[in-house]
Amino acid sequence: MTTVSASGLCLRYGRNHALDEVSLRLSPGVTGLLGPNGAGKTSLLRVLATAVPADRGTFTVLGHDPATARGRQEVRRRLGYLPQTPGFHPDFTAFEFVDYVAILKELTDRAGRHREVRRVLEEVGLGDVRGRRIKKLSGGMRQRVALAAALVGDPAFLVLDEPTVGLDPEQRMRFRELIARAGEGRTVLLSTHQTEDVAMLCHRVLVMARGAIRFDGTPAELTAVAAGRVWNSAERDPGAKAGWRTGTGSFRNIGDPPAGAEPAEPTLEDGYLLTLDGAGAEVTA
Amino acid sequence: MSAVPVAAPVDAGRAAEPGRWAAVAALARFEARRLLLSAPVLFAFTLYAVWIVWRTRSSWDGYPVLQDADRATQGGPLLVGLAVLLSANLAVLRSRRHGTEPYFGTLVAEPWRRTVAHVLAVVPAVLLTALGVAAQFTWEALKPGAVGHGSPAELAVGPLTVLLFGAAGVLAGRLVPSPVAGPLLVVVLLFTLVLGAAPMGGGEGSGWLLPVVTEAGGDPLPSGLLGRPAAWHALYLAGVALCVACLAVLAAGGRSPAVRAGVAGALALAVLGGAGQSAGASPSPELTAARERASVSPEKEQRCVARGRSTYCAFPEWTARAGSWAGVVERVRSLAGGAAARQPLLVRQRIEARYGLDSDSALDPLTAPHQVTVGTAWGGNRVPEFSTAVAAVLVGGDERTAGGMCDGRMVTVMWLSLGWQDDPMGALRRVRLDDSVTGSAVVLSPTDPLTMTAGQTDVVRELLGRPRAEVTRRVKEHWGELTAKGVTTARVARLLGVAAPEEADRCE
Repeated sequence: MTTVSASGLCLRYGRNHALDEVSLRLSPGVTGLLGPNGAGKTSLLRVLATAVPADRGTFTVLGHDPATARGRQEVRRRLGYLPQTPGFHPDFTAFEFVDYVAILKELTDRAGRHREVRRVLEEVGLGDVRGRRIKKLSGGMRQRVALAAALVGDPAFLVLDEPTVGLDPEQRMRFRELIARAGEGRTVLLSTHQTEDVAMLCHRVLVMARGAIRFDGTPAELTAVAAGRVWNSAERDPGAKAGWRTGTGSFRNIGDPPAGAEPAEPTLEDGYLLTLDGAGAEVTA
Repeated sequence: MSAVPVAAPVDAGRAAEPGRWAAVAALARFEARRLLLSAPVLFAFTLYAVWIVWRTRSSWDGYPVLQDADRATQGGPLLVGLAVLLSANLAVLRSRRHGTEPYFGTLVAEPWRRTVAHVLAVVPAVLLTALGVAAQFTWEALKPGAVGHGSPAELAVGPLTVLLFGAAGVLAGRLVPSPVAGPLLVVVLLFTLVLGAAPMGGGEGSGWLLPVVTEAGGDPLPSGLLGRPAAWHALYLAGVALCVACLAVLAAGGRSPAVRAGVAGALALAVLGGAGQSAGASPSPELTAARERASVSPEKEQRCVARGRSTYCAFPEWTARAGSWAGVVERVRSLAGGAAARQPLLVRQRIEARYGLDSDSALDPLTAPHQVTVGTAWGGNRVPEFSTAVAAVLVGGDERTAGGMCDGRMVTVMWLSLGWQDDPMGALRRVRLDDSVTGSAVVLSPTDPLTMTAGQTDVVRELLGRPRAEVTRRVKEHWGELTAKGVTTARVARLLGVAAPEEADRCE
């Protein structure tokens, strides 16, 4: 079942095409959105989160069209959004902040709302510090407050813009758990630079470059893009699109292998880099 | 075209319009709690409570006139209003200051509904102020010496000022997204309130554009003679406050017909109230005539009651004070001798209302014999002043004659005035213009003041230090000579058994 359907979305900032005829369909589960800086990931997320309207194109969330005021409200009722740089009110406690967001999501029954706020704070592991002011929380905890704010009200469509940036490995692992749980029964669109996040969490992956979607498939399919195009060598291969020395001392190369090259097992990141190369984006590793 | 099924719209369960307003109410409660607990508002309310207690404990010397007491409730809420303005402004700017505005923009409640909530969040502070006003006024009204009638419109001014300032803070936040806008507005308002009110004059038409118009002047007037367009002013304030609130919602994007109608309606209220108060600021011919009657021939407006041998004529709102006045008259007369000890007096309440509330004109002394003037204020210094007037009439025969006394009779007057009091030296100090107990001085009374020479002051001070019964016996014994026109202070001193002053009587 498709919960989000977009067709021909265009967005320009001045002369730059942030989105160029983007069409997609999202269904329940976690969909990863990969792409280099400036690829248009955040622009796409902002359009889908109704933060900015698209210049052209249409999309619906659970059948509601945000082009109309009424439809926009209906979309927002079903939306949970974690922006790239979520602001916080530092003098609010974690509970107050999420409660405030819950009110703005029009959860009006006080007792029910407070139960819901406690539930999502427990879900993100902040139950014990819900009374602590946000300015006293660590960066990872603040990020979890933002996730709780996105989750409150049990939205059907969750938009997460680089939620694991700046988190240490333990916090990232914790976040992966949370996102995986959030993806059970709802549609999650996860923008990230972390290919491991996509490999571990997502049933589907989109790769964006220069405002357009360059790949749409499963993580396995993205990995398969690099099948036979990854090899190891004792020296850096000058014909490789990218190459780097591994911990074992040998070089891992991607691109079109020379004859007799020792093939290596491709990863999702290899597929992603090769997809970007095909899209004319700069490949760096 | 893909054949993938698209989910149909589902009922969110939160879409109903009443639910949307319930969210506004919930947000208003949240913001109201934060507003009331913000440092400026907490501080202002604490200061306001302290101000109420400090002021009301000793106001009007325990004898408040309620048509003045209602206006006295209007000053304190100004401070609360300024604090509410500041905190409401910061609350509106909070999401912008902390970068949450783009995020909140994707949530269901639109910015204009949030603005409605910010305006509604001011209401508990308004109600708390109304509670403070009610407490202050009730405290005054419950004092045993309270007289008169308060005006609900005057009492509404304080809370309405808080509403207006709070709405102004919200509007400023919507129009000028800078954290300095609120403090700057507070400074401008302070400047306008403190410095702007004085040149315009409280009672002038333009002065009524300000939230609070105090018009402090002389003695209280009967409520029917105040001539303050209080109801129009309350309507004007309510209209301006609602207009500012609706403009804030409009500025936040609430362009619905209801909001536009709200702006128009509130503006109409403000204009109607403004026009009404402007017309009412100048006294009508009827009011001028009533003030003239009350000032020139008060007997036509007054009710008289008999207490003991004397009669007390007062404006209807003050008749309850006749007992207090009679107490003074009887005590003064009890110290007098001769016919004065049995002399009936007519105590008449008098006012000068012809120049309005702001004027502080003196009353002319009465020329009719055995008539004493009493004002509309009572308690504190007014008691020895009235006591002196009673004594002066008992000794001099009428107020005009008593005012021109320039001989030893002044000693007898002051003894009668002060001799019965619990703290006669304190009363002497309070009844003299310079608050001294030595040297010559002007002695206050409800009409023309009297004059004491330094020698008379010395003799009176000496008498007040002696046993009351002994002095009273001598006064009664020599009453005729003590109250004879032209008697010297030296002679009076000798008759009363104290040292005579060295200087001869000389009126200044």
